[in-house]
Amino acid sequence: MNSPPDQISADVIRNVLDDGRLVVCVGPGGVGKTTTAAALGLRAAMAGRRAIVLTIDPARRLANSLGLQSLTNDPQQIDLATAATGEEATRYLTSTSPPGEHGDEDQDDADGKAEGSQQQDGELWAMMLDSEQTFDDLIDQYAPDKGALESARENNIYRLLSSALYGMQEYMALDKLHDLYTGGYFDLVVLDTPPTKNALEFLETPSRAATFFDERIIKWFLPDHSAGFFSRVFNPGSVVLKLVSKVLGESFVEDLVEFFDTFHYLQEALQQRGEMIEFILRDRQTHFFVITSADPRRMKEAYFFHEKLGALEQKADIFIINRVIPMFAAHDLAQLEDEDLDGMLEEHGLEDPDQARSIRKHLETHYARLAKLALRDRKAISSLATRVGDESIRLVPLLGEDVHNLSHLLKLSDFLTPLKD
Amino acid sequence: MLEQLLDKRLIFVTGKGGVGKSTVTAGLAHALARSKRRTLVLETDTFSAMEDLFDYSSPGLEPISINEYLYASNLSSEECFIATLRRFVPSERIARAIIKNRIARVFFRAAPSVNEVTILDQVRVFFEKTDDDGEPFYDHILVDLPASGHAVTFLNVPATMHGMMRGIGPIATMSGQVAELISDPATTAIIAVCLPEEMPVNETIELADNIDETLGRPLDLAIANMVHQAPLDAKNRPLFEEIHQQIREDYPGVESLFFDEEDERAESTAIARLIEGNALALGWADRDREYLELLYDRLSAPIVEVPIVYESSGTDVVDKLSRIFIGDSSDAASLTA
Repeated sequence: MNSPPDQISADVIRNVLDDGRLVVCVGPGGVGKTTTAAALGLRAAMAGRRAIVLTIDPARRLANSLGLQSLTNDPQQIDLATAATGEEATRYLTSTSPPGEHGDEDQDDADGKAEGSQQQDGELWAMMLDSEQTFDDLIDQYAPDKGALESARENNIYRLLSSALYGMQEYMALDKLHDLYTGGYFDLVVLDTPPTKNALEFLETPSRAATFFDERIIKWFLPDHSAGFFSRVFNPGSVVLKLVSKVLGESFVEDLVEFFDTFHYLQEALQQRGEMIEFILRDRQTHFFVITSADPRRMKEAYFFHEKLGALEQKADIFIINRVIPMFAAHDLAQLEDEDLDGMLEEHGLEDPDQARSIRKHLETHYARLAKLALRDRKAISSLATRVGDESIRLVPLLGEDVHNLSHLLKLSDFLTPLKD
Repeated sequence: MLEQLLDKRLIFVTGKGGVGKSTVTAGLAHALARSKRRTLVLETDTFSAMEDLFDYSSPGLEPISINEYLYASNLSSEECFIATLRRFVPSERIARAIIKNRIARVFFRAAPSVNEVTILDQVRVFFEKTDDDGEPFYDHILVDLPASGHAVTFLNVPATMHGMMRGIGPIATMSGQVAELISDPATTAIIAVCLPEEMPVNETIELADNIDETLGRPLDLAIANMVHQAPLDAKNRPLFEEIHQQIREDYPGVESLFFDEEDERAESTAIARLIEGNALALGWADRDREYLELLYDRLSAPIVEVPIVYESSGTDVVDKLSRIFIGDSSDAASLTA
């Protein structure tokens, strides 16, 4: 079997969307990661799966393109039939064949809405993370009594944790992931992670969150009723603890004591969830997609993700390279005869030869710039290819339009993994 | 555009990931250094963009001199933490004991905001560094902040910490000092970099509001980066559209050229590629204009547009940007060429 790399990469994506349970999309910011995650979810839904896209990015247009006013902290189902207006969308939706064993049975239905056809089973859901709300929900779920949330809100450290905290989004995204994954309803979760450094923290978060609630640490701070708190913390033998309190200030330490006391019940839950999430991230059915653009700096970051994943004993299944400039080449200009364009301009009513020359020069100058960008993209891509292999790379051309309706999203998903004929 | 930054000693640059924030920061730093201002550029990321952009390798916390006026350092949270701790404990031996203590290490790593406070504190240390005459050593310190979703949170950590500790203890005092510095618009500037695209523009508008609300000070400047230039004057557009239309008729399926990766293609279709390429570029320029108008409409801070540059190596791009920022006339001319 000598399939071309292009076909292998399309098949990898298709297989993941058909059989995977979690796709984690990582990559630098500003490369269309959220949109790509949505397109992946859409393709999975078209293949008959119940897919949910969990994003952290408040992309209003993405919500609109899915036919929603806005995304919320609760899963919302995308009405694919209603959202798919336009000829293109209808064509894609109606030509979908479900994967695997169902593949050949239902060919293109006339209207795509045939009763009992397999694609009726597919669902696309989307949600956007609200970390504050998620934290509150978590407290609510594990609080011993109804007053717990109220008293929690009074605590300084809780307030800091739930609203201001750097890194909180990552803790909470994983918590939400845990719920979606273990909830049993969804076949596939597509997780859109925060960009760059945060995404790396994100992968390390399970252990980090558990660490914060590590029992050994909590023990320092929990009031011990047999011995006064201060006698405990200021154990004469513990120079280290004394200094911690000295640096952080006694009142902060007092708040910490209160915090750990109030949230004692959370410790076990968070730890269990943390372990579960680690388990999920290491599962065979979990896949990592690195999403980037062809810009050399972004590509470098993409490679950095690749190495980071390696360090975490993970592997990127595929590198999706978005917005690749079409193959405009400088030698096209050499092949052009001046008269070709001048003749066209004249045909369209431009008589002044100087003006024609000026327009031609402008167009040629700009084309040369595009060719420069195209070449730069190709170099960056081939340099990545030598390190990760051609078959791990999937190119998505720059389409020259924003994704702002479902038909654009379908077009994108078709570049990711073309529908089989 | 540099004039408005000359009296700001501390310049925070933020922006959504992928908008070229680090490149713009490097360009600004280079421009200031070229104007003979001693400039330090700081990063807070584990992944240093400056090393690539300025072609150097960072040895640690101590700034490395890139040229006579330009210095750079990447602030790793671990090293900042050690630096901060050393100031609070009586001896280095004890500082090391704390750092080596496994539980203390784990605690500080996991504890919220400790990283941010110590990084920003290190920024303050550089800010306060003086030369032999007691004058500030650095004329400007540029800080390449984390992506904007986090930037305000990041900058607000000292104020939050200060409040949370009720102003008591060394960390609280230190946090208070840093918070004061950040909220002082006379000394400190906050710049947002964005692209002329939907999400970055919307996020910049939200960011400006958020900075006002949370930090109690305005956003000083927005830089719209990588603005596509239209290949043609507006007056020639109708003619170009006609020609584009004709190309579409004469070369059916010309759009598939976009996805054709072959290098050697038919000579006869070269003109189709020329026209299609320029049509694509015009589309980008139009789309950029649309989002820039939204930005002008909704943002009260001044906006500087930086055209897309076609250099490929990081150092060339930075060089080009710095000349644009200085207002080098030859580059200004090339923008409209």
